[in-house]
Amino acid sequence: MAALRGEVSWFCCGSAWGPCGTAGGGACGTCSSGNYQHAWPNTSDACLAITRPDRCGVTGVTRRGCGFRHYTTNLCTGARVGTTIADCGPQTDLFCGERTCCGSACGSNRIIDLTPAAYSAIASLSAGLRPCSVDTV
Amino acid sequence: MNQTMDRRRLLATAALGGVVGATGLGSLAPEAAFAAEPATIEPGAPDPNFAEGRISRISGSMLLVTGSDTVLHSIRITDGTSIWKLHPTTFDRVVVGDGLYARGVRLPDGTLAADSVWVNIVNLHGHIAAVGRNVLHLDHQGRRIVAHVVPDRSAAVYNGTPAVSDLSLLRVGRHVQVLGAWHPDTNEIDIATVYAAA
Repeated sequence: MAALRGEVSWFCCGSAWGPCGTAGGGACGTCSSGNYQHAWPNTSDACLAITRPDRCGVTGVTRRGCGFRHYTTNLCTGARVGTTIADCGPQTDLFCGERTCCGSACGSNRIIDLTPAAYSAIASLSAGLRPCSVDTV
Repeated sequence: MNQTMDRRRLLATAALGGVVGATGLGSLAPEAAFAAEPATIEPGAPDPNFAEGRISRISGSMLLVTGSDTVLHSIRITDGTSIWKLHPTTFDRVVVGDGLYARGVRLPDGTLAADSVWVNIVNLHGHIAAVGRNVLHLDHQGRRIVAHVVPDRSAAVYNGTPAVSDLSLLRVGRHVQVLGAWHPDTNEIDIATVYAAA
């Protein structure tokens, strides 16, 4: 898979406090906020029918199953983290055309959501959205 | 010695009572603090340098936190710890019952010397069910969330445009992502940033 460029955010899952308490273990049943995991928009036909990155013109979101490894780079800093698929998401088509930049480093459309542990390894949780690239090596 | 090890040593010194301030650690804005750290945790695995849960006790500069999985964490706040609670704030604003995510360095005694603590932070998706005066009512996973607009703090990002304080373009039925701070033991949050599609 060629590196995919877009936006990254974060989500909570597993045992959690507050409004996250209802999140559960995600589509794979294994998701935990403290683990290096992520949600991917194309884990199954049913998942893709919800996330619909194609509606935003995003191509290259390869079908991958639970446990598959992706590596996400924060384009603001160059920091990188490796995670495994634990859920379906983000719902790309709800934010079609959205663009996030750090100076000249930009990403359009949401392509991956990281757990708090993973996201906070490459960005501050208080920065809810960052441009990123995603690859498999 | 690389930068990561320098930071670990300095944080450990701070946690053990040394006088280390933010200037001694360089910028501790989270974005900058972690930019140079390589991710060495195996994908899929838990990160020992990360903790989450609710504060059950505060003792001096130590937070005793009960993880949502019931694991107990001791989190040390140092002079260099950055604390977020709707906005960057200070340790005296943190109280028992708050939820948190923390990142730092795990010391040999199991204590987490915190680089960053995000208190009550939430990042929710939902549909706007109603709009009131300085409040949004959100449908989030079948539950109602009351999201308060905080003057001089809350901002909106419309389809990736720069954040603005004008939230008047938010409409019933729109899907939004809300980054904010939870009011413990309620269904209410304060809004830091609302991300809305076009």
